[in-house]
Amino acid sequence: MILLSYGTAIVLFVIGLCTLLFRRNLFKIVIALSLMEGGVLLLITSMGYIPGGVPPLLPLLGEQAVNPLPQSFTLTAIVIGASDIALALAYIIKIYHHYGTVDVDKIRGLRG
Amino acid sequence: MTFTSSRLIHRIPALLLSLGIGFFLWRGLVLPSFPHLGSTAAHYVTHTASETGASNVVAAILFDYRAFDSLGEATVIYTTVCGVALLFAGRRYRSSRRGLSFVVKRGMALMVPFILLYASTIVLMGHLTPGGGFQGGVILATITVLFCIVYGSRFEAAQINPNKKEMAESFAGLFFVGLGLVGLLGGAGFLANLRAGFPGGTPGELLSAGTIPFLNIAVGLKVGASLSTLFYSMIKILEAPSEGPPPEVFSS
Repeated sequence: MILLSYGTAIVLFVIGLCTLLFRRNLFKIVIALSLMEGGVLLLITSMGYIPGGVPPLLPLLGEQAVNPLPQSFTLTAIVIGASDIALALAYIIKIYHHYGTVDVDKIRGLRG
Repeated sequence: MTFTSSRLIHRIPALLLSLGIGFFLWRGLVLPSFPHLGSTAAHYVTHTASETGASNVVAAILFDYRAFDSLGEATVIYTTVCGVALLFAGRRYRSSRRGLSFVVKRGMALMVPFILLYASTIVLMGHLTPGGGFQGGVILATITVLFCIVYGSRFEAAQINPNKKEMAESFAGLFFVGLGLVGLLGGAGFLANLRAGFPGGTPGELLSAGTIPFLNIAVGLKVGASLSTLFYSMIKILEAPSEGPPPEVFSS
């Protein structure tokens, strides 16, 4: 089960990386970034898993709780990732107004 | 999308690179699960009830042990809102007043109290059950997002003034810092909880865990206000007819 979780995380990351390398549309690049972020967060959360662990809520329903630290770090990272993506989208809107395109190959030079 | 031969030649190395990185991640990162917690995590799990009074260990880590991190996180959101507002400042955009059909509007009016109840449950019970300020704040923001979509952004701006949203966000941030300073006055350090003399209560009850519920409320307000401001600043632009993206933006 935990291998499936790791595998999903890595597959998500690789899909994001492929999209990042192949696509030239800035919107799709941002979606790829958010996909990669999802993969990394899933990986972090999976690392805190302990076989037979219960959710870290008191009183514990079993003997061993899963690691609560990766979960709280993931919460932090989700918020920061959402902020990143919002700012990136805002910049893309500005770039579109300035250059008239969102294709990274056609955005060339400084236009003042 | 055309698969010309030169493009294909460029794609093969990139594909191989991605698959190679994936392979090495799989070989390198997949560790066997450890049967026990590390020392820090074990301390958090065993001492949360006595040191913070909260039932949710994740919330105790976020808003007590590492509350300073959460303050930094809230600052990141604030910076993003400032950045987006700055990027789109100084222009006047037309806001739409049409919205969707009558049925959707009535249905939305029925749903709003329940969404509000759900959001406030998640914020207020953050120290007892999974949830907390960040998650509840996002659900709060969905109300204003739905308002924008269903009733049009002019109605949303008229009902919930953007200035009021920014005011709520700033006051929530100040409240967070103020609670931290109270901990400093109690002689236990910035954002100290029970050691600064806040009543801990019985773990598992609604009024327990010292400052954690109040920090949850502050963060919930802050995140809700920030995200709805972000959405509003962006939808203003997309709704203006001359400024919106043309159809070619959404094809490859």
